[in-house]
Amino acid sequence: MEVTRIRALRGPNLWSHHTAIQSIVTCSQQERSIATIDGFETRLRERFPELSALQPTGHDDHISLARVLELVALGLQAQAGCPVTFSRTTPTLEPHTYQVVVEYSEEEVGRKALDLALEACESALNDTPFDLAAALSALRELDEDVRLGPSTGAIVDAAVRRGIPYSRMTSGSMVRFGWGSKQRRIQAAEIDATSAISEAIAQDKQLTKRLLASAGVPVPAGRAVSDAEDAWAAAQEIGLPVVVKPLDGNQGKGVTVNITGREQLLKAYAVASQFRDRILVERYMPGNDYRLLVVGDKLVAAARREPPTVVGDGKRSISQLVDQVNQDPRRGSGHSTSLTKIRFDDIARGCLASQGLSAESVPTKGQRVYLRNNANLSTGGSATDVTDDVHPDVAARAVAAAHMVGLDICGVDVVTDSILRPLEQQGGGVVEVNAAPGLRMHLAPSFGKGRPVGEAIVSTLFKNGQNGRIPVVAVTGTNGKTTTVRLIAHLLKANGMRVGMTNTDGVYVNGHCIDTGDCSGPKSARSVLLHPDVDAAVLETARGGVLREGLAFDYCDVAVVTNVGSGDHLGLNYITTVDELAVLKRVIVQNVAPGGVAVLNAADPNVASMAEKTRGSVTFFALDKHHPVMATHRAQGNAVVYVENGNLVAAKGSFQHHIPLDRIPVTLGGAIGFQIENVMSSVAAAWALKLDWSTIEAGLASFSNDLDNAAGRFNLFQHRGATVIADYGHNPDAMAALVKAVERLPASRRVVVISGAGDRRDQDIRQQTEILGDAFDEVVLFEDQCQRGRADGEVIALLRAGLTNARRTRTTHEIQGEFLAIDTAMNPLKSGELCLILVDQVEAAMAHIAAKVAAG
Amino acid sequence: MPQSVMQTKKNIHILRVTHLQGPNIWTYRPVIEAWVDIGDLEDYPSNTLPGFYERLTALLPGLVEHRCSEGTRGGFLQRLQEGTWAAHILEHVALELQNLAGMRTGFGKARSTSTRGVYKVAFRTRHEDAGRAALTCACALLLAAINDTPFDLPAAVEVLHDLVDDLCLGPSTAHIVDAATERRIPHTRLTDGNLVQLGYGIEQRRIWTAETDQTSAIAEEIASDKDLTKSLLAACGVPVPVGRLVRNAQSAWEAAQDIGVPVVLKPYDGNHGRGVSLDLRTEADVTAAFELADRKGGGSAVIVEKYIPGTEHRLLVVGKHMVAAASGELLWVTGDGVSDIDQLTDLQINTDPRRGSGEDAPLNALMPSRSGEIILELARAGLTPTSIPPAGQKVLIQRNGNVAFDVTAQVHPSIAAAAALAARVVGLDIAGIDMVLEDISKPLQSQRGAVIEVNASPGLLAHIKPAQGTPQPVGTAIIDHLFQTGKDGRIPIVGVTGTQNSARIARLVAWLIHISGKHVGLACSEGLYLDGRQIDAADCAHWDAGQRVLINRSVQAAVFENPSRMILAEGLAYDKCSVGVVTDVRWQAALEAFDIRDDEQTYKVVRTQVDVVLPSGTAVLNADDPQAVEMAPLCDGSVIFYSMDAQQPDIVRHLQAGQRAVVFRDDSIVLARADQTVATLPLANLRPEKASRPEMVMAAVAAAWALDIPAELIGAGLRTFESNPKKTPY
Repeated sequence: MEVTRIRALRGPNLWSHHTAIQSIVTCSQQERSIATIDGFETRLRERFPELSALQPTGHDDHISLARVLELVALGLQAQAGCPVTFSRTTPTLEPHTYQVVVEYSEEEVGRKALDLALEACESALNDTPFDLAAALSALRELDEDVRLGPSTGAIVDAAVRRGIPYSRMTSGSMVRFGWGSKQRRIQAAEIDATSAISEAIAQDKQLTKRLLASAGVPVPAGRAVSDAEDAWAAAQEIGLPVVVKPLDGNQGKGVTVNITGREQLLKAYAVASQFRDRILVERYMPGNDYRLLVVGDKLVAAARREPPTVVGDGKRSISQLVDQVNQDPRRGSGHSTSLTKIRFDDIARGCLASQGLSAESVPTKGQRVYLRNNANLSTGGSATDVTDDVHPDVAARAVAAAHMVGLDICGVDVVTDSILRPLEQQGGGVVEVNAAPGLRMHLAPSFGKGRPVGEAIVSTLFKNGQNGRIPVVAVTGTNGKTTTVRLIAHLLKANGMRVGMTNTDGVYVNGHCIDTGDCSGPKSARSVLLHPDVDAAVLETARGGVLREGLAFDYCDVAVVTNVGSGDHLGLNYITTVDELAVLKRVIVQNVAPGGVAVLNAADPNVASMAEKTRGSVTFFALDKHHPVMATHRAQGNAVVYVENGNLVAAKGSFQHHIPLDRIPVTLGGAIGFQIENVMSSVAAAWALKLDWSTIEAGLASFSNDLDNAAGRFNLFQHRGATVIADYGHNPDAMAALVKAVERLPASRRVVVISGAGDRRDQDIRQQTEILGDAFDEVVLFEDQCQRGRADGEVIALLRAGLTNARRTRTTHEIQGEFLAIDTAMNPLKSGELCLILVDQVEAAMAHIAAKVAAG
Repeated sequence: MPQSVMQTKKNIHILRVTHLQGPNIWTYRPVIEAWVDIGDLEDYPSNTLPGFYERLTALLPGLVEHRCSEGTRGGFLQRLQEGTWAAHILEHVALELQNLAGMRTGFGKARSTSTRGVYKVAFRTRHEDAGRAALTCACALLLAAINDTPFDLPAAVEVLHDLVDDLCLGPSTAHIVDAATERRIPHTRLTDGNLVQLGYGIEQRRIWTAETDQTSAIAEEIASDKDLTKSLLAACGVPVPVGRLVRNAQSAWEAAQDIGVPVVLKPYDGNHGRGVSLDLRTEADVTAAFELADRKGGGSAVIVEKYIPGTEHRLLVVGKHMVAAASGELLWVTGDGVSDIDQLTDLQINTDPRRGSGEDAPLNALMPSRSGEIILELARAGLTPTSIPPAGQKVLIQRNGNVAFDVTAQVHPSIAAAAALAARVVGLDIAGIDMVLEDISKPLQSQRGAVIEVNASPGLLAHIKPAQGTPQPVGTAIIDHLFQTGKDGRIPIVGVTGTQNSARIARLVAWLIHISGKHVGLACSEGLYLDGRQIDAADCAHWDAGQRVLINRSVQAAVFENPSRMILAEGLAYDKCSVGVVTDVRWQAALEAFDIRDDEQTYKVVRTQVDVVLPSGTAVLNADDPQAVEMAPLCDGSVIFYSMDAQQPDIVRHLQAGQRAVVFRDDSIVLARADQTVATLPLANLRPEKASRPEMVMAAVAAAWALDIPAELIGAGLRTFESNPKKTPY
């Protein structure tokens, strides 16, 4: 068995809505059915007993090794705790070759699972050992490593539940929510609005205290001291007991609490001096440690935190007691569980020493022994949810503290006897405020209820009803999609939006080209969706990207399918028939958001049949309103767009809107049929996005199909009284549409310039000239250096062959080089004649034509 | 002149020094007020001390700039020659020392007191400690000049200079604060560092050098991650050099070959210029550059990226726009056949007066033998810092850095747009965008330009003090970014001064504002109140309490009681106010400690309250107190008089002039404007305790009216106010 072309489908794809690893698996003759491999399944089950039942797919009773690989790869991930359920294996046309698709929740884990699955299968084949436990633990470890941490994960989950799209910006915890100009960013419990200055203030304990005191938030009185004597003086000013700690220290290093006398204070000063030069003396506030989480202007959760402790039983030593506590299954070693194992390290030993104990001491029954001074979950402490107990005054102080420092998400540390009463009554106070607080103690406290803090954070990012999405229109089809994309973008622009657009020419944001080349794949689409200046996106979605990587978005608002023609790239990537192509192009229709609209060509049966696959509603378009699909759809009260009496008509139920075609210049007053189709689909898309009709009409009126708008899309020039049309059409359907348009333009003589793209099927190249031969008097065939893998003369020969039975063509030229071909056709042009140039090197050829036109 | 006295050493005793932190009897801004006893110098004005004028002006030639009361250059020198007293001279010497130490100040005053030979000297300072030090130093210098003893001025100035550098705002922050002052936005330093609050209460913004309270911490994190920054920029169509992270010299060279030479190496976590080597083409150069970058980057990864030929530029983006651009230059020395490169650098580069080691020098002095970057650059030419190049040979010293040549006016719009987009993509509201460009005046598309770095909290010096070209008003741009046009960061502030019920008036005003729906902060002798809660019951009619109110981010309006004692001892807590209330001008024995001995002197103290009323504000004056009436013309804003007597001539005149007054008529408090009665509030509706003190109620009503609180609300507020703080939270 050989696994090749492993790809990550990072968005909705041909197979499913899930992210998945796709690979091509070539089996040997025998591997086509594992039943023929003696003892294979038994050996495999010995190695991976949890493997699901091997069901044959469909009516084929043979289970291929590829299918087994698929199930093992999925099963391994599932056993490692990944939430995955989807996998699939389909045969390709090539013998013994399958496409295997396995869902993943983390790409790296998915890839690793496939590798391990291959190992497992091979070990079962060859009867060699396979260490399942090691494999699962490797997957688990990798998963914990790469997946989002619990705080970030909770926020992302909350966002996903609100339908907000997200993408990770780094391998760490930086995440982008939403798209374009609506995007927001977070990094764990820190949001993009979190001010760097506020974070710096929170780091400065003295300044924080001053600010909080200004706001009437109780804080422990205290001051920085210059030396030991000054420390004693300060202690007397403040009143004993006091705390001595390094200024700007962390993790409780060098801190001595509950100092009641001079000797003790001087010793504490010496200890603190080992860590920092500047020392702080503060009033000691006894009581419990509480963490209050403020999000926006609300207290959303509170927890009482306790340092790790063990309780003596009069028999066991402290280290034995710790071991016993650590056996609690809730205590994990990372950040994923509600408790963490107690660490028996130097800090713990130091803490014991300060209580006059050691690891070997045997505490009496019921004696509580602390293993740390601070109550962090990550060092074995515990957290008890007390959200419902917080006195409103205490909540108000916490909110005031956060507001004063300027933190929109803030962990406020309070020390007080009870959270049930105002701090002022018990001498409690705020000891610290924390930016980017950990959320685990609120999400999954050791005791008590978990709190929806992720939801709270998401609601500060996105107001109720907002989901961070911008209107996204996906367009696919064989012909007309580039013009459609441009026209829809133009209509959105007319609506005052900054539009991001991808198509086969490049990526455009607000009119600026930010990338060139074929940009109809997911990478370009993603770059539009993450661009901060984009209010709406119109994305040409070509098949290649969908096959390679899936879609760049989870849902779109509008999916437009212009048509599914023959001859367009058939034969690549196991897509061999128009039906299969339709299935591929259908992916965008399947991923229309609920409430969105699929705009479908009713006249193309392959497209029309996609209607039943969408979650959204459907707008059909076709020239003929009596087309059965149109008529039925309309009769059911659904939206349709058609042409009637020189008007483009949008109709739904009793609603009708008419736009005269002569106010839509791109159709040449209705003369160019395929442009009318493009206009119909674009109007349907704009209608679906609820644009004003006046905006749509204004947009249509100002859309000129000149060079600036769409190079190589039926660009019209007047040259010495002759009409010159340049177009990038390169398949039989496009030819037919062009011929139809040309035939409506009166001309005394018609010339066409054409070459063929080498990567098409022979019949498709030939068919182009077959169509042209019936409409043009003169044909200029040319060949350029770029032959896409064909030998010199091969393409021209095919084109020539297509002209064999031409009904109209009288003259044929064969030219080397595109410019020369253009010159050959254009130089003799006279008034009243027509010349169609099917450009190849679009940019250069268009410039050449434009220069000739300008020269006159 | 008795010879014996001349021969004894003269002395000046500084009796006490006060830092007045806010508007005071001297001026609107903080000053040092010193009480000095000049002893028998009282008998020796400057013109009677032989040689003194010459000695003093020799020490401090800058005194010629002091205009003094004459108002012209040389004004103070003229006074010296005509004869002036030591206290006055002390004031000017202190100011001049501050100027020499790099702290610009101009205001000073000296006044005699009721005790012969004792003066009050006040002078402007930007920092209390620096001001105190300048005073001490000025005293020593003055005595040295009087007694003709030596004085080491350079040493003294250096000490002061270091103090000023340490204590005062850094140049970038100071520049922004100056721009705020231009727009009359008040500022408050929150720390000893550069964290500054602009504006008051809820309208405040914070800056920390070139960071604002809108500068996102995540965006800073992104900017510090060069790889992430580059990928985000590239996705949005901002050109960046292709690059790769490497961790050893061998992979650096492999990366260089993949990317294609020439390449640049720099530390991943590095900062502007440090450890950066450009235009590397050979394995040896790449290896050496890797080691430098590795060392300077402290072991983080090293970036290998495509070298983009051109000049390095720094474009400053504020908000949505590029506001300034500076370009760098290559630095060369030319050999003379004698000097080594260190010496040539000193001779040809460091002689530039713009180069220095201080924070305010626009360019750094270069020391080739101490700079790894320069050593490497030289090594590539086969040289070391101690090499002696032959006469006429040009040696490249530095390729980047020194981005200090202003080119703002030449920036092509497409480049400005790319810089602004880069800042936006990273998410920074203020960013320094480093771009390599062939020609900043040409479209970006027409050249091989690229963004090589995005910097949070960029330095502003290159734009404020360019080595060449026009300084750019980047501080103004930052202030305009923080405060919309027309906004000055102020909240309504009411100050109450007088001896009659002023605390109660302050509380009543706070209550009336509270009733109108605003979060009010109140500092008065009956406590500190915030947001409807007494947070301190002690006497809070002092500067610190006032500051607490003004730095509170939720306070929408503030009310202060400002007793004369506070104005004299500390100054007002705010620079300007919307409403200044004066109930009376009455001398009290407690003011004797400040050498204020009668009503007339008290007037000069109390008027401070009226002096600080904004042009858009109002002075509320008791028309029944003649001295309060006298203050009306001092007010920049309008005046509301109040009086128990509706027929009082001042009231009548004021109303005739179309102005507002609050008077007591028919057992009612009447709000009148010109000949109209705007509202009538019958006293019978009030509790007896208030009804018994209508003048107190009138002062509060007038203040509330000045704040445009509707009369119905004022009426409601008066009815509900309880003087017991437990019942009324103000």
